[in-house]
Amino acid sequence: MIRFDSVTKKYKDDYTALDNINLEIKDGEFVSVVGQSGAGKSTLLKLIYAEEKPTEGTVFFAETPLDGISRRKLPFHRRNIGTVFQDFKLLPKKTAFENVAYALEVSGAPGGEIAENVPQILDIVGLADKMEKYPRELSGGEQQRIVIARALIHRPLVILADEPTGNLDPVSSMEIMDLLLKINKLGTIVVIASHDREIINKASKRVIVLEKGKIICDDAKGEYKIA
Amino acid sequence: MFLIFIRTFKESFKNFWRNGSLSVAAVSILALTLFIMSVIFVLVVTGNDVLKSIQQKSNITVYFKSDISEEDILKVKQDLGNYKEIKSADYVSKDEALGNFKKSNADNQIILKALEEIGGNPLLPSLVVKANDSSKYDSIANYISTAPFKDNVSRINYDRNKEVIGKLNDLVSEYKKIGLGIAILFSIIAILITFNTIRITIYTQKQEIEVMRLVGASNLYIRLPFIFEGITYALVASVISMVLLFLTFKFAPNYVATKIIPSGALLSYYYHGFFAILGLQILAGAVLGIFSGLIAIRKYLKI
Repeated sequence: MIRFDSVTKKYKDDYTALDNINLEIKDGEFVSVVGQSGAGKSTLLKLIYAEEKPTEGTVFFAETPLDGISRRKLPFHRRNIGTVFQDFKLLPKKTAFENVAYALEVSGAPGGEIAENVPQILDIVGLADKMEKYPRELSGGEQQRIVIARALIHRPLVILADEPTGNLDPVSSMEIMDLLLKINKLGTIVVIASHDREIINKASKRVIVLEKGKIICDDAKGEYKIA
Repeated sequence: MFLIFIRTFKESFKNFWRNGSLSVAAVSILALTLFIMSVIFVLVVTGNDVLKSIQQKSNITVYFKSDISEEDILKVKQDLGNYKEIKSADYVSKDEALGNFKKSNADNQIILKALEEIGGNPLLPSLVVKANDSSKYDSIANYISTAPFKDNVSRINYDRNKEVIGKLNDLVSEYKKIGLGIAILFSIIAILITFNTIRITIYTQKQEIEVMRLVGASNLYIRLPFIFEGITYALVASVISMVLLFLTFKFAPNYVATKIIPSGALLSYYYHGFFAILGLQILAGAVLGIFSGLIAIRKYLKI
């Protein structure tokens, strides 16, 4: 589904974020990418949602190379991918409902579909009773649930989560992790980047360890051992 | 496509209200810009009109000796009519000249009495000559003073008017240059300020733009609300500027010496060109608003 073919990513001033990465993620997988800050976790995710382009090598998504993706097609690629971030990236002036509905509106979905799907998704993440609240009226865990609902609304093939629990307390972190595992069970690929050892070990799924831009460990039922 | 338009239009309208003070800032700057540009524009245009009308009033008068017959003068008139720089040559007979003189001095008993004392008609018959272009009076005067009928001519009053006409010509060209210079200068300043204000407005929405891109909004979908916002700014700013313009033209002439521009002229010009001015303002405002917006978003769209 997602394949990295000898991918190297250098930023300006020759800083190498990823160094010759070969990697394949198959349908239905749940993958944790771990490593210290600056190890290249975020860059790996950015290459998948085509926010950055590789300096060398090619990233394939559903067998399509992403380096040739045109500006016109980029929005359609993004609709196959749901993104979740540490800092939520919610629109502060929109309610929970509007934040989720927005993702459907931009793709030109009809109003009826929006009115039907958004409450369903919000129900899945357990926020059915808080649809009309603004982000500032919700806890961090609840805000992250809206983000996940927004990521799910396009019924994406992949959910990418960059430090999804970075701003949350341990209990909320566990809840978010449970939610991501549940989504994975329903058939969506989930890739999370994190350095939260506890939640990753709880999942006991595939773990890829990055260090200085290189994969140093890739276990099917891995544990994140290095502190 | 239609759905996109409706949605982005709504979005832009919400943005306009939710941004509150920033919208107010952008609109007031834009309104001021349009106002300044309009005032300068109107002043240049009306000023030009006034100068033109003064130019049209200027003339040179050719006085003939009192014993020259009307027939001869009319011949000269015909002759002058063929000269290409001359727009018109009007004959004023001795009797007409006297009538005009009496009329213009009707209040002045001393002069009228003096006239009676002299007896008869001391005035000379004349041709009032107008040129197509006021800068050509010099050559016309030359032509008349060297023409075959020059012996019939008593005097030409060009020398007296020469200075005034010359000054007027200088004034017209100076006025055009200075007016244009000021207009350009102020426009540039105003455009830069407007541009920056709108950029700041958009800068505060960069998070929104980032989120839009992440959830797969097309670039068009991201841009449209800003385009509509630019148009909304322009509409509101134009209305404000029109009101300001009206107040200025109505009351300002009372405080400013208006020897050159008659006080009613500005206001009548305003009424006369109301839709033209409004249309131009909306157009200029929209162009400014939309372009500032598009340039500012470019950065966040990563084009």
